[in-house]
Amino acid sequence: MSRTNLAHRLQHPTHFTYSSRTVVFALTARKMLRSGVLWGCIFGISVYSSAISYTSIYKTQAERAALAAAYGLNEATSALFGPAPGLQTVAGFTAFKVSMTLMIIGALWGLLSITRLLRGEEDSGRWELLLSGQTTRKVATAQVLGGLAVGVIALWALTAVITILTGLDSKVDIGATSALYFALAMVATAVMFVAVGALTSQLGGTRRQAASYAAIFLGLCYAVRMIADAGVGVHGLIWLSPLGWVEELRPLTDPNPLALLPIIGFTVVVASVAVSLAGRRDVADSTLPHRVKANGRFFLLSSSIGLAFRMVRPAVVGWWVAMAVSGLLYGLVAKSAGSTISGSSISNVLSKLGARGAGAEAVLGVCFLVMAMLVTFIGAGQLSAARGEEADGRLDNVLVSPKSRTSWLGERLTVAVSVLMVGAFEAGIFAWLGTASQNAGVGFAKLLESGVNLIPPTLVILGVGVLTFGIRPRMTSIVTYALLGWSLLVVIVGDIGAMSHWILDTSVFHQMALAPSVSPNWEANGVMVGVGIACAICGGVAFKLRDLQHE
Amino acid sequence: MGSMAIRTDSLTKRYGGVTALDGLDLEVERGEVVGYLGPNGAGKTTTIRLLLGLIQPTEGRAEIFGVDCHRQPVEVHRHLSYVSGESNLWPSLTGAETLYLLGRLHGEVDENYQQELIDRFDLDPSKKVRAYSRGNRQKIVLIGALMARPELLLLDEPTSGLDPLMERAFRLCIREARDRGQTIFLSSHIMSEVEALCDRVGIVRDGKLIEMGTLTQMRHLSALAVEATFDGVIPNLSNVPGVTVTEADGQVVRCQVQGSVEPLLRVLATAGVTRLVSREPSLEEMFLAHYGAGDPSGELDHVAH
Repeated sequence: MSRTNLAHRLQHPTHFTYSSRTVVFALTARKMLRSGVLWGCIFGISVYSSAISYTSIYKTQAERAALAAAYGLNEATSALFGPAPGLQTVAGFTAFKVSMTLMIIGALWGLLSITRLLRGEEDSGRWELLLSGQTTRKVATAQVLGGLAVGVIALWALTAVITILTGLDSKVDIGATSALYFALAMVATAVMFVAVGALTSQLGGTRRQAASYAAIFLGLCYAVRMIADAGVGVHGLIWLSPLGWVEELRPLTDPNPLALLPIIGFTVVVASVAVSLAGRRDVADSTLPHRVKANGRFFLLSSSIGLAFRMVRPAVVGWWVAMAVSGLLYGLVAKSAGSTISGSSISNVLSKLGARGAGAEAVLGVCFLVMAMLVTFIGAGQLSAARGEEADGRLDNVLVSPKSRTSWLGERLTVAVSVLMVGAFEAGIFAWLGTASQNAGVGFAKLLESGVNLIPPTLVILGVGVLTFGIRPRMTSIVTYALLGWSLLVVIVGDIGAMSHWILDTSVFHQMALAPSVSPNWEANGVMVGVGIACAICGGVAFKLRDLQHE
Repeated sequence: MGSMAIRTDSLTKRYGGVTALDGLDLEVERGEVVGYLGPNGAGKTTTIRLLLGLIQPTEGRAEIFGVDCHRQPVEVHRHLSYVSGESNLWPSLTGAETLYLLGRLHGEVDENYQQELIDRFDLDPSKKVRAYSRGNRQKIVLIGALMARPELLLLDEPTSGLDPLMERAFRLCIREARDRGQTIFLSSHIMSEVEALCDRVGIVRDGKLIEMGTLTQMRHLSALAVEATFDGVIPNLSNVPGVTVTEADGQVVRCQVQGSVEPLLRVLATAGVTRLVSREPSLEEMFLAHYGAGDPSGELDHVAH
């Protein structure tokens, strides 16, 4: 940039004006506004997709009543996705279908954003730079929360606007007030977990620790809500879980605004404690005691591949546990859910997604689609970690030793593929353990095969990610997660049945047969593996020829 | 293996329209200690990253011990260690774990010397990297590079964050390395460090090597600093050939003399000079002389010329 242009831009700022006292707020708001708009669009499109698919599949009142009768009182689905009290209406179905997913996504968005903005900035040293301005630790933390609120408002506004527009369709018929309230419920978990993330950012010593603590809390909240909704006579537990409070808002079915009280109270208290702790503790320190010293543990440090395994170990273990728990839960509920839907119109929904057959296998087909997404997240995360090594300059330490770039990238991919393969096998094995305990009648070999079937779509995304890493390294995470998100969106929206096959074919999940409801399509899987490998080879060659790029 | 430790031939690096390094021709003999000076953005780090093969040259080539840095980086890396001014390490590892890892990555470690270096640099290796100060992280990188006793040390601002005591320990290590016959290529902003350690010095500006030689050679080519104190009327020295007055403070005049001092001495002989001091320019003065022309404020011009 020329000096003239720079001077012009400094004199004529195009975005936020940075007052010295509100610079932290303005910086955060600018970052989070974009993120809020993006995720608001995704939330809105999910709502649109669900509402329109319902009106196109369940045209008559009889079909809707049958759906409600089949699914409305199913305890297994209630435990997994929350209760489904209004399946005979578009609004009720939409609320049931998207609520739990959006609540979880919102919570993850909130906790990951705030831990990045608080603890992540502190880890990088940029936080000290900001604190050297006209602010204090307490005020700066409060301003980050305020800036994030701008993102939350954008998230809420976009979700509400798209829901209102969807509701204008006479077949959908969701009023503006209901839409606004529904959007509020959908962002409520984001708001609460922003506060939780702000608190854990004060407790943990690193961003990873802060995010892990918040994620563990989210897992506990989900578990408590699940038990409460499982129909075992302890529904009162719902009030112990923030996710339960959001569920109790009952948007689009039986609104209960009183449930906003614990949500607001929890957010205010937790955020206040976080701000207070931020003012009391030293910068770069943590509230919880942490080990500054440790005895040397040299295992896995004799080679760069060992180092790669060691560095990703905490995240990988978390993913493996998540895969095991998901597989087990899906296996446990498959028989019950399958028996309920057999012969009902809900099987139409499953068949639209590509699941054939009936009973537990049909349900598991869709469950394995969800687990395919999880496995893909594992692969994408591994690639982001590899790019992070380069961006932060740590890769220089490895590549100035007698280690070629090809060898290093090959090792990182070996780690990534090994990790995701273990996750995929786990999905099959633990799903079998669940089904076997319920005598669901789905064989071990079939479920293991279903687990293996999860690998090819992930390899495509991994391959495209490696290609991006080779050509435009700074875009690696964006492209990888965008492809994942796009594939997810196409699968969600695709079930309305009105999408061109050209678009459907761009989704890696659409290419995957929904085993065990159908046999894996090994031909398609072979093509996906081939595409993934070809992309990875091209990416590897490009990586060898390009400059290393720090952030 | 080639006789030259480092040789570059028209080495050029462009980023779009920006030329970071422009046709660098550089030769470093085995066993030499060469300083590499330049302000921020002059192309020092670009040169070192090109030598390491971390970035690709737009034109030209670079060799280390006769091996092409671009085509055979792995072979090149067998003979060198690198210290960056930005110590980017793995925060969850301890100092000891990091040194173990760096040693295994390089393949050769003198463990006794490693312990000696830990003692010299007064490093507590049991701490996690995230708990170290910047200077202590830099110590780990330095120890990691020195403990391998490589044939070539590529050092890019190696003493960033070190306190004066540790800087002294660093200088001692570099002298020992030189005595062992190791080659050292040192990029630094610290003139005293370069002046104390280096056999030859290169000065890079806007991506071009504008000066290369021993300190003696460079001093010979540079202006002589003269300070004269008068007891009467001060003569006009600005018209004397080769003389640039840099400062007049009461009866004291400071000036720089380029070339022969005879014209100045002739003028001073007729004036009442009570005190005359002349000295060779320091490396810092020579450096500033090279960069003065690029200083928009003219402040450096004033000092240097």
